[in-house]
Amino acid sequence: MSTNSLKKVSIAAAAAGVIAQTTDTAQAQGVDELLAGIKSDSAEKRTKRWQSAGEVGAPAVKPLAEVMTDDNLEVARAAKRALWQIVRYTGRPKANKEKRAVEAELVGLLGKDQPVAVRREVLWMLSEIGGRNSIKPIARLIRNEDMREDARMALERIPTKRAVATLKTAFEKAPEDFKPNIAQSLRKRGEQIEGYPCKKLIPTKQTDVKPL
Amino acid sequence: MKKTNQLNRREFLAAAGTAAVSMPYIIPSGVLAAPRRIGANEKITMAHIGVGGMGGYHLNDMIQRRQQGQVNIAAVCDIDKNRLINALKTAGPGVEPYHDYRYILQQKDIDAVVISTPDHWHAVQMVHAAECGKHVYVEKPACCTIEEGKAMVAAAKENNVSVQVGSQGRSQPEAYLAHRYLVNGNIGHISRVDCFHYPSPEDNNPVPDSDPPAELDWDMWLGPLRWRSYNQRYCHGVFRWLLESGGGQIRDRGAHVMSCAMWWMGADGTGPVTVEATGTAPKKGLWDSAVLMDVTYTFKNPDWVLTWRQMPNDQLPKAEERTGNEPGGKISRPGYGAIYRGDKGEFIHWGGDGGTWAEKKARQWELPAGGKDVYKSPGHKEDWFKGIRTGAKTIMNIEAAVGVANLCVLGNLSYVLGRKLEWDQANQTIVGDPQAQRIMGRPQRHPYHL
Repeated sequence: MSTNSLKKVSIAAAAAGVIAQTTDTAQAQGVDELLAGIKSDSAEKRTKRWQSAGEVGAPAVKPLAEVMTDDNLEVARAAKRALWQIVRYTGRPKANKEKRAVEAELVGLLGKDQPVAVRREVLWMLSEIGGRNSIKPIARLIRNEDMREDARMALERIPTKRAVATLKTAFEKAPEDFKPNIAQSLRKRGEQIEGYPCKKLIPTKQTDVKPL
Repeated sequence: MKKTNQLNRREFLAAAGTAAVSMPYIIPSGVLAAPRRIGANEKITMAHIGVGGMGGYHLNDMIQRRQQGQVNIAAVCDIDKNRLINALKTAGPGVEPYHDYRYILQQKDIDAVVISTPDHWHAVQMVHAAECGKHVYVEKPACCTIEEGKAMVAAAKENNVSVQVGSQGRSQPEAYLAHRYLVNGNIGHISRVDCFHYPSPEDNNPVPDSDPPAELDWDMWLGPLRWRSYNQRYCHGVFRWLLESGGGQIRDRGAHVMSCAMWWMGADGTGPVTVEATGTAPKKGLWDSAVLMDVTYTFKNPDWVLTWRQMPNDQLPKAEERTGNEPGGKISRPGYGAIYRGDKGEFIHWGGDGGTWAEKKARQWELPAGGKDVYKSPGHKEDWFKGIRTGAKTIMNIEAAVGVANLCVLGNLSYVLGRKLEWDQANQTIVGDPQAQRIMGRPQRHPYHL
């Protein structure tokens, strides 16, 4: 490599570093501004901020999840709506890289360290944009009684063969009381299931109101 | 989708010989009952599922028809005990109360059901009723998702039941006059219909989640929706202001005003090629449907544009002044309607539901010799009864109603996604947007599913 070429490479590398640093700084600033707006006492400001959350993207996912359980209901609600805004924005066509980055952050919120309410919400977010990297983490939650129904429905919505295969495995391992639920998802996805007939038309709830 | 785990009638009868007593509840759908076509002089035996709000109206209406000898009322059903008790008192002796609508669907002597539950139940209950051979009157909007709409159309067709959807604007006397006026070219070629409506409300007094009231079965109110804690802002009535369950004004009144537009434009069975929506979100509270909203639907072959606009009250078109003495009376709902824009003039109507008021020029217009007349509904329920008795297509049949509901659903999808959607009417799908395609359907909670 010539000296000129070396110079060009090092200038390019330095420029890339500066751009990355600038981008990181801009993103951090974007997250800070977003969170400040979400936590604002002003309903106007909160609304304006959550509506503009989409472009902030993946770096805002975890910080917003923390605010989703804020004691102030309206602040918590604004954080949830901001997170949904990110999911809807990054789910747009031809934004695969952004979408995968958000997916990765969301998957990170499925762990036991997060409140059930957050994990449930995240399951539904992943049902809209989740791909192969979401499937195993979602499937693990089918073993959790608090979240298994949401996890089943999230997998039902992910339109891949892997999601169906995972539902099949989950069906085999599921306790008897939950097998009909997974059978429902599998039938919805066109699978033939032996046993566990559909219960949708079975009445179960009697009334104690007497006829006149 | 493959149909699985369902027996055909012969298989069921064979199985029933050994298992009917011990396994009465695994009877698959569509096996037990074919719909009954009812003779011209026979009474139709009805059951009412959901008896609050519009359900109360329908029950009272049906009681009058019972007095006229048109129908029997066999059952009322509600998951709110207070509402059920009130309905029972209204309906009188001889009517069975139910909490779970599926008991009603098992009753072979019930010919038809009137479904007036919150929107998120419409598709599930209509499909179940059809599969059990019941004719159905279901409140509007027909469905909350594109996939629900497909299932409703398929269920009505496969089970040969008569379905009327409660967009009763089509059956109003002045809707007939407006329709006739427009199809006879009085405003020329119509290339644009602008629907207007006042805003969806905001909740200025949000409340935290709480325990549900004792009289309400919260699990069954949610039904197919994902589980969440009870909040007073979900029900009753106010479910309309949540995108998931009611969809806001566009799905509530859009299912009326755009129903008139599709009917009068001869556009039933067609759909837009693109849908683009913007809106303003509520600033606080649980409700999340757009307060103000602008939606543009572009149709091709023939080319026309339909818009839905929720606008501030001071921007709404002024309502025509009418005396209370003329048929139809004064315009009591001036806050919604549509303006039809043709190359020779404009026409406006107000309302579009049980109250539909046509502009004076359409009311005064007389059909000339050789002019084109249009179907005049004998009344929305009468039109349904005709469908039940003869198999004739109802004025707001399920295909038409799903077409209108799809407009509402697509408008909301474009709003929440913040982008323009392309719609393939022939294949009933959104094009080129995988996320939007996923949310054309919504997984449903076990066992409250299609």
